[in-house]
Amino acid sequence: MQKAFIAGIMLAAPLAFLGVYSTLKKASFFGDGVAHASLSGIALGILTGVSPFGMAIIVGALFGAGVYFLERKTSVSSDSIIGILFTGGMALGIILLNLKQGYQPELISFLFGNILTIHASDLVLIIGLGVGIIVFLSIVYRRLALLVLDKDEAWLTGIPTSGLELVFYVVLSISIVLGVKLLGIILVSALLIIPAASAKLLSKSFRKLVLLSILIGEIVVIGGLILSYYLDFPSGAVIILTGVGLFCLIAAWDGFRKITKEKS
Amino acid sequence: MTSKVIEAKDISVSIEGNKILENITFSVDRGAVTAIIGPNGSGKTTLLRTLIGLLPFQPGGRIVVLGKKPRESRPKVGYVPQRFTFDRSFPITVREFLRFSCPGCDELKLKKYLSHFQMDEKENDQLGNLSGGQLQRVLIVRELIRDPLILYLDEPASGIDVSGEMNFYDIIRHISGDHGTTVVMVSHEMDIVYQFATQVLCLNKTLCCAGLPSKVLTSDVLEKLYGKDVALYRHAKK
Repeated sequence: MQKAFIAGIMLAAPLAFLGVYSTLKKASFFGDGVAHASLSGIALGILTGVSPFGMAIIVGALFGAGVYFLERKTSVSSDSIIGILFTGGMALGIILLNLKQGYQPELISFLFGNILTIHASDLVLIIGLGVGIIVFLSIVYRRLALLVLDKDEAWLTGIPTSGLELVFYVVLSISIVLGVKLLGIILVSALLIIPAASAKLLSKSFRKLVLLSILIGEIVVIGGLILSYYLDFPSGAVIILTGVGLFCLIAAWDGFRKITKEKS
Repeated sequence: MTSKVIEAKDISVSIEGNKILENITFSVDRGAVTAIIGPNGSGKTTLLRTLIGLLPFQPGGRIVVLGKKPRESRPKVGYVPQRFTFDRSFPITVREFLRFSCPGCDELKLKKYLSHFQMDEKENDQLGNLSGGQLQRVLIVRELIRDPLILYLDEPASGIDVSGEMNFYDIIRHISGDHGTTVVMVSHEMDIVYQFATQVLCLNKTLCCAGLPSKVLTSDVLEKLYGKDVALYRHAKK
């Protein structure tokens, strides 16, 4: 449980931070894509005996880079590219897993998330990469915002737009795969979307949006883990339902606020 | 140092196999206000974006901006696009939007330009709540605070009301005259072009004419360019 808390706290901040940019870029589907495509990495790890988590991170990074290059080199829309790589990666994972005989308990933990399967080595990886990603985002915070908001202007101001965009995709992919152990392939993208979507309803400035997203991300993960512990329900599902519940409360409050404003 | 800040020679641009510009050659002097005119689809925006370095041109052509390749001179260049589309529900203030482009810019300068464009009271408003004309002013302020040596404007006054429009062009004239900033703008408003431009480029895939407004903006040239009888009402100011 202790490891889960540390992992959750370390993951919530980068995912919520990156969620702001993926919302601005209208790339929420990207999270689902990379999580599902990472199944091929997990399968490869299970099949070869190499760390499935490490392999999933590598496949995730390749997915991000793949989406970036295909977006630039083809006229196919971003959604279609993600859809093709997402289903392709998942299908490859299923075929690879078919080659391995017998029940795969580790696979189930990756699909739905299981805090009990977070090992010390996973935790080291999550802490190391999580801190690295937060430091990176703190440095490029403004440049990344300009890139996502207005690519031409970003280029004019001297930002290496191609390089930064590639790094963003790779960092986003790695962050999502890091969350797979905690929340599972199917649910992880929610931690990217829910904090930013909730914070958007409460914010009037970009700075506030980023800070509130991180705060909401942390509340959702910590609250969800505590609830799952006492209710004895699967942690990933409880974390997401906590997030959805919080979003509904904020959305209802925002709606109520708008109605009273209109009346006055 | 040469007085030419932009030199374009034999510029041809194709987008997805369609030839948009063919063998364009011209130059722009330091501090000049150059207006690019032409019918819809004539390649005006493409020419601007090529000069900036946002679009590639075909081999055999050459563009030198401020003595360098467009890519290398980009920090010294400002660009106000014809349309700026973004998610209006996204929370970002006018101040944040300006600061993203120029985090180290002088605060006094930022306030001065916001005031020039009557946007000082909107500084802390959300960008998505601005009208089209107000947003256009913010886009212009965003470029001016970076002190560009060349300012590219693609139909800059679109959406700005009549009084704001004259104020806008007065500021452009001031920037060009006092600061020596070179302005290259796309415009459909012949009266404005006649008043403010020192050079006109007529574009319709190829460069049809170039020169002083008084020489170029004749009924014959405009009729050839637009394919219709165009009458020009000259403003009394010039």
